[in-house]
Amino acid sequence: MDFFLQQLFNGLAVGGIYALVALGYTMVYGVMKLMNFAHGELFTMGAFLGLTLLGVFSFTEVLGPFGGIFVLILMVMGMVAIMGVLLERVAYRPLRNSPRLSAIVSALGASIFLQNAIMLMYGARFQVYPHGLLPNTPVSLFGVDIPLLRILLFLVSVFMMAGLYFFVQRTRIGTAIRAAAIDQDAARLMGINVDRVIQIVFIIGPALGAAAGVMVGIYYGQINFTMGWIFGLKAFTAAIIGGIGNIPGAMLGGLLLGVLETMGAAYISTAWKDAIAFGVLILILLVRPRGILGERVADKL
Amino acid sequence: MKKVLCFAAALCFMAAPAFAETIRIGLMAPMTGSWASEGQDMRDIVTLLAEELNAKGGVLGKRVEIVVEDDAGDPRAAALAAQRLATRNVAAVIGTYGSSVAEAAQNIYDDYDIIQVANGATSNRLTEKGLNFFFRTCPRNDEQAMVAANALKSMGFSKIAILHDNTSYARGLADDARKFIGEVSDAKVVFFNALTPGERDFNTVLTRMRASDPDVILFTGYYPEAGLLLRQKMEMGWDVPMMGGDATNNPDLVEIAGRQAASGFYFLSPPVPQDLPTDEARAFLAAFEKKYNKLPGSIWAVLAGDAFTAIVTAIEGAGSTDSKKVADYMRTRLKDMPALTGTISFNSVGDRIGDVYRVYQVNAEGAFVLMNP
Repeated sequence: MDFFLQQLFNGLAVGGIYALVALGYTMVYGVMKLMNFAHGELFTMGAFLGLTLLGVFSFTEVLGPFGGIFVLILMVMGMVAIMGVLLERVAYRPLRNSPRLSAIVSALGASIFLQNAIMLMYGARFQVYPHGLLPNTPVSLFGVDIPLLRILLFLVSVFMMAGLYFFVQRTRIGTAIRAAAIDQDAARLMGINVDRVIQIVFIIGPALGAAAGVMVGIYYGQINFTMGWIFGLKAFTAAIIGGIGNIPGAMLGGLLLGVLETMGAAYISTAWKDAIAFGVLILILLVRPRGILGERVADKL
Repeated sequence: MKKVLCFAAALCFMAAPAFAETIRIGLMAPMTGSWASEGQDMRDIVTLLAEELNAKGGVLGKRVEIVVEDDAGDPRAAALAAQRLATRNVAAVIGTYGSSVAEAAQNIYDDYDIIQVANGATSNRLTEKGLNFFFRTCPRNDEQAMVAANALKSMGFSKIAILHDNTSYARGLADDARKFIGEVSDAKVVFFNALTPGERDFNTVLTRMRASDPDVILFTGYYPEAGLLLRQKMEMGWDVPMMGGDATNNPDLVEIAGRQAASGFYFLSPPVPQDLPTDEARAFLAAFEKKYNKLPGSIWAVLAGDAFTAIVTAIEGAGSTDSKKVADYMRTRLKDMPALTGTISFNSVGDRIGDVYRVYQVNAEGAFVLMNP
């Protein structure tokens, strides 16, 4: 039982990160029907910017460990949000009325461009976050010892996802986002500024990805310019499992993928981890082609 | 006077290529992708050696030109890089770092009769295919596996967990190690499985390994994963010793793991750059540091330099760039050639002769210390 619980917590921690990154994919898809393949690179950018800022200013010493990291994450979210808006302006807006394939090619191009730009700026070597930024004492939970950071990582992810959910469901801007996701032309007729909505989506998605990047940097320590690829792939998968375009779906998909992977690795074979996780994904899609929560939507956020 | 002339000549060569012709040597290396730092070191070393050689008059009176192609550490990209190099009239190719990547390019070079001297591809089967133009300056996995088995035995471990990452290099090393452990000792292999390289979270595999209660872990993959394993193992509060294969030999391992977690980690490797045996090697490293403001990260880039030296020595010795003659010279007449990592000779299938592996341990300051000199 200890073994099961330990592995369950392992899976939830990874799944929380997948879910945060998946939100960026799913929001953009919901509104624009576009897979933003550069999202993984924005996540990487978040991790690197966090490291740079830490080098410039010792947040944790001045503001205390938790306050410092909180401010750091907010700053990085802001900077990456600006990059997200720029990305949309440069790579996607000119193609708004082009065939969807052109926009996908543009997204892939942006991804390759950003990845190599990060390599040229920061170098190809692994970079390492300072050790011991946050206290990391093990906490005993249901008889299993879990590092405090893991719990924080998970809680912060859940908190951000919940915040986003209420933002989209309960605020005027959120309503506008949902309206634009259902039908852009009709939304425009109702007086919604769709360009503005798309911009907001490109602020929120990259900002959440950036937060995930910083958290990965702090928790795992090691970052490099290719890290966005594997997290992006998993998050993309998570978004599809949950039902692409659906916000709670992305959260559910991320957590589910994390737990599935972990359980496959724990009870069958670690070498077959991805094969098992993706096998289950295929099964889910065979039964529910639009993903677990994808039904009521298809075109809705 | 002679000195002045030499200097003037060197200046001329630097200012404008005064050679009538050039000999092109290809370098296939991971310039991008997750092994890009290795590839960039490879390029820097080979470029510096070529500059030094050209300043001394080149080979057969011709200037040596290095043509770099990026294999991105990816077999698919390697096949394309090999095609491009093959059509660019290169006399020989140096590279590459990863076994599966080198393997994807092997047959292409063989079809074009181009010599390939790999510097980091240690998988056994690369030289077991009867290819006439394939050589390597790095040792083979089975030699390394034997050293690992003997080291684990002499340290007295009896329950061994083996973890690889499913790349052809790591898998081959893990298989060989399992075989040799059974042959040389009574130790049991209690865990044998793989992780996914490129990921960050290995708590799952660590938790599972812990359940099989080994008294040592042998990890045959690469340093980014090894560093994370050490770090996450410490966070779990599990203090089992760990030994790595030669791909964990990189100073970034200590950066990633942190000194505390890395301390006590054993790994197998040819001597690290700082422990290179000869004065020439130390002089070269000093020149390297002066030019690039860094030291090579690992031994593999230095072995690319040795591949370069072997190629130009063989071209000089054979008096031709004809690949059949050069390959023949490398196999039969190139004996005990002095190089940065020691003396180099090749056997009939193109493997380097001689035992080069050592056991290292990371000390409390994060430095790599030779255990059995």
